[in-house]
Amino acid sequence: MTHAAPTVRATTSGDKLAIVIDGDLVLETVGAVQKALEAPLATKPRRVSLDLKGVSKIDASGVAVAVRLYRFAKAAGLPFDITGIDGDRKLLVDLALRGQDPQPAQAHLGIVREVGMRAVEGFETIKDLLRFCGEVSVIALQIIRRPVLLRWNDTVVAMARHGTDAVPVVGLLGFLIGAIIAFQTYDPMAKFGAKLQVADVVGISIVRELGPLITAIVLAGRSGSAFAAEIGTMKVTQELDALRTFGIDPVRFLVIPRMLATLVVTPLLSVYASILGVLGGYIVLGPKGITIMQYLVEVRAALTIGGFLQGLAKAAVFAILVSGVGCLAGIRTGQGPGAVGMSTTRAVVVGIVAIILADSVLGSFFYSLGI
Amino acid sequence: MTQISTATPTTSSGRKVAISLRGVSIGYGDKAIVEGIDLDIYEGEIMFIGGGSGCGKSTLLSSLNTLRAPLSGSIRIDGIEIAGADEDTLQRVRRRFGMMYQLGALFGGMSLLENVRLPLEEFTTLSNDAMDDLARAKLGLVGLAAHADKKPSEISGGMQKRAAIARALALDPPIIFLDEPSAGLDPVTSADLDAMIVALNRMLGTTFVVISHELASIFSIGHRFAMLDGARRRLVALGPPMELRDSSPDTWVRRFLSRTPSGDA
Repeated sequence: MTHAAPTVRATTSGDKLAIVIDGDLVLETVGAVQKALEAPLATKPRRVSLDLKGVSKIDASGVAVAVRLYRFAKAAGLPFDITGIDGDRKLLVDLALRGQDPQPAQAHLGIVREVGMRAVEGFETIKDLLRFCGEVSVIALQIIRRPVLLRWNDTVVAMARHGTDAVPVVGLLGFLIGAIIAFQTYDPMAKFGAKLQVADVVGISIVRELGPLITAIVLAGRSGSAFAAEIGTMKVTQELDALRTFGIDPVRFLVIPRMLATLVVTPLLSVYASILGVLGGYIVLGPKGITIMQYLVEVRAALTIGGFLQGLAKAAVFAILVSGVGCLAGIRTGQGPGAVGMSTTRAVVVGIVAIILADSVLGSFFYSLGI
Repeated sequence: MTQISTATPTTSSGRKVAISLRGVSIGYGDKAIVEGIDLDIYEGEIMFIGGGSGCGKSTLLSSLNTLRAPLSGSIRIDGIEIAGADEDTLQRVRRRFGMMYQLGALFGGMSLLENVRLPLEEFTTLSNDAMDDLARAKLGLVGLAAHADKKPSEISGGMQKRAAIARALALDPPIIFLDEPSAGLDPVTSADLDAMIVALNRMLGTTFVVISHELASIFSIGHRFAMLDGARRRLVALGPPMELRDSSPDTWVRRFLSRTPSGDA
């Protein structure tokens, strides 16, 4: 559809800027009108008026011209009036100008406000964390005393979803990491004639360290995020409120089965990842003339029961961290469409950071014990 | 079908048709929910489409707004056939209507101003200042100019629906589809929304197609009401809501519009 090109006449008499617009004031033409207003408005008038008598057609975009002039005048504290409209056109313009007064700028408190807000947020997070730990501990004790309180079916389903379903990816990563370690260490070790000792490196690093770590990181990505998303969605859709009003504790109903399932499957997955990691190492060493028996005997000699248990202990701690962080992120989900996504991201990032921190602490602890 | 003719806007004489349906069947897969819909929606009309739960009104809307092709039949918007049309044609047609979804479907990461600006950014070459002014004007029309910088999560459900209408108005389309605009709103907010639809319809001449079974809105602002019946799988009534309620020969239509329990005669 073609429109009558609008003309803009701006006349200044004294300190008053009078703007007269003719033609069609619609989406297709409003851009040109807005541009034509820039120069007259730059003259810093003390009073502004707009005459729309010559406008043949105006739509919901055309009224944006009035909005521009109104906001300009109000921001500068100038009088502003519109003439040449009545009936529905006047109603259209009046409606469009409702609430258009520029908002007063919020007092900027700068760094003090920022630090204060962060401190309050940090305090709230710590409070939520402590409350969550307390609730989980109390309910776990109640369940130990009365196992019937545990939702066994949910726990088994969670084990299948977060354990069995994770077997392929955990196995693949464990196998490849074992092969990579052997591949990267073979040449430097061979220079010292310690080809067979590559098996020691693979065995110790996989069983004590990387098996549990790989498993936990996979779980943080797969399960921690899933816990946060599931529980977070339930919070947004008020399902958590519904549980509470039934008198059902969401921690017992949702969190404990997930944490328990993760606690059971993570050490098992870690052992599985370790076994495949050791096998992965042999894929590199086999072609170098080392027999499978030599390799396995060397790995066995390098490993101690303490080292094996260290790996299991780490896996268990990682499981509690990953599942706890995921569930807590879900419970702390805020409102709005982006809230679940933020909780999921938080679950993965905080989960992985917590795993690495715990690994450092536990590594130092076991080292100091001579394990 | 009960067709009741009255004075404007229910007669077709001299009125331009904004949306035309001929022999339209809608459904999922091969299963039709409603068949053989013949319906003209006129320019500048507020047309309500309703019926019982599961009657296919939302499916029909998704065919009208080009998201789901009808199983058969012809749908023309501003004379352009959209049934079986290619993507370029559908894109052209999409510029001719705006859509308000039941829950607003505002983009949560953007402010209201940014939500309304988005279509302007994508489809116009206006300057940033001009786009801001346009978006503020649209928000002003729905009474939300003072909330332009807020995120959707910071305003009420009714305000979100009004903001969604402002976004639907962004490119001044001649047709606006509204999906259950009153659902979940209190009576006062719902009445405010109705008043706003009437004001926009009168001031801008916009055609409104409203999917709803909110009787108060249908009677207070609907020019005509098209009723679908899932059991009979067809359009069973079309006409001014009051007349359908009082004198439709179809018992189900009268019962639906007079809110009579199914046990009563």
